[in-house]
Amino acid sequence: MSTTPRPDSAALTPRNVSALLQDTTPWLSCDECFDRVDSYAEALVHDPTYRDEAMAAHLRGCAACDEEAESLLRLLDGR
Amino acid sequence: MTAVSRDEQRSNTSVSSPPSDVPGPMDWVAALTGGGPEQASALRELHALMLRAAAHQVWRMRPALPDPSPSAVDVIVNQAADEAMTALLAKLHTFEGRSRFTTWAFKFAILQAATEVRRLQWQHREVELRDLDVPSAPRHEDPELYAEGNDLAAAVAAAMRGVLTPYQRRIAIALLVDGIPIDVLADRLGTNRGALYKTLHDLRVRLRTELTTNGYLPVHPANPPNPAPSDASSRISPTPTAGTP
Repeated sequence: MSTTPRPDSAALTPRNVSALLQDTTPWLSCDECFDRVDSYAEALVHDPTYRDEAMAAHLRGCAACDEEAESLLRLLDGR
Repeated sequence: MTAVSRDEQRSNTSVSSPPSDVPGPMDWVAALTGGGPEQASALRELHALMLRAAAHQVWRMRPALPDPSPSAVDVIVNQAADEAMTALLAKLHTFEGRSRFTTWAFKFAILQAATEVRRLQWQHREVELRDLDVPSAPRHEDPELYAEGNDLAAAVAAAMRGVLTPYQRRIAIALLVDGIPIDVLADRLGTNRGALYKTLHDLRVRLRTELTTNGYLPVHPANPPNPAPSDASSRISPTPTAGTP
């Protein structure tokens, strides 16, 4: 069984720092994200400039929800 | 006309706000709960939708699979579709028609398939909850290399030691440095994605407050410094970062 890869312990990378300092306000939970992601994706397909700050903040901060939202959007787009 | 074709017909009219004068999204609910041949037909159509969305998701994540062969993918897709359909039917009463039913259904299959792929990706890997092991003092052997970015990284490490609990540090390292998927970590810790994300949100607020107090972040920043390279193809969020070291 392999173990979690250890990063260079000398420093946090810029990407680590960015992830740690990501502004995830306004607060939105993963459950709330799941509740809203279908209408959010449809709104984005209809209008690519559509903004939902709470959803955008959550998706910036949660890679799993972001992957699933992006996937739903692409499925609706037929890509 | 089937429930699917009614829903598809609406999609030609409006994506985000189905008109109220044509058969509405609740037709699916009626068909799926009404009994008789129409229910059996609706269940078959729903399963086809689940398969379509699950396949879409698994093929997106296929490179992450230990066995990416088409036959292995098929097994995952079918299992995810079955489980997603069960989850959807249990929540059918919560469908409010804010999106098309098909879109609402897709998200169940996408969640189930993505979670399963991540689980398989990590099934033979040990998940280690470790504390921060970066040096507490910055190294000044080469001042040229010790630029603003390193200074910020050192400040973040100091803030992690100063304002985060050991548990918060371990969750932050696991998710944001070691890149363990949030649902994999939740499963190993016997918790759930939502609880871990709440921990992540809280610790980020603490770090940002500390870094702002110490002058490393502006008082009302729109974005953190040193933004991670964004996926140019992502239209959903500008800079998804969590769990992607």
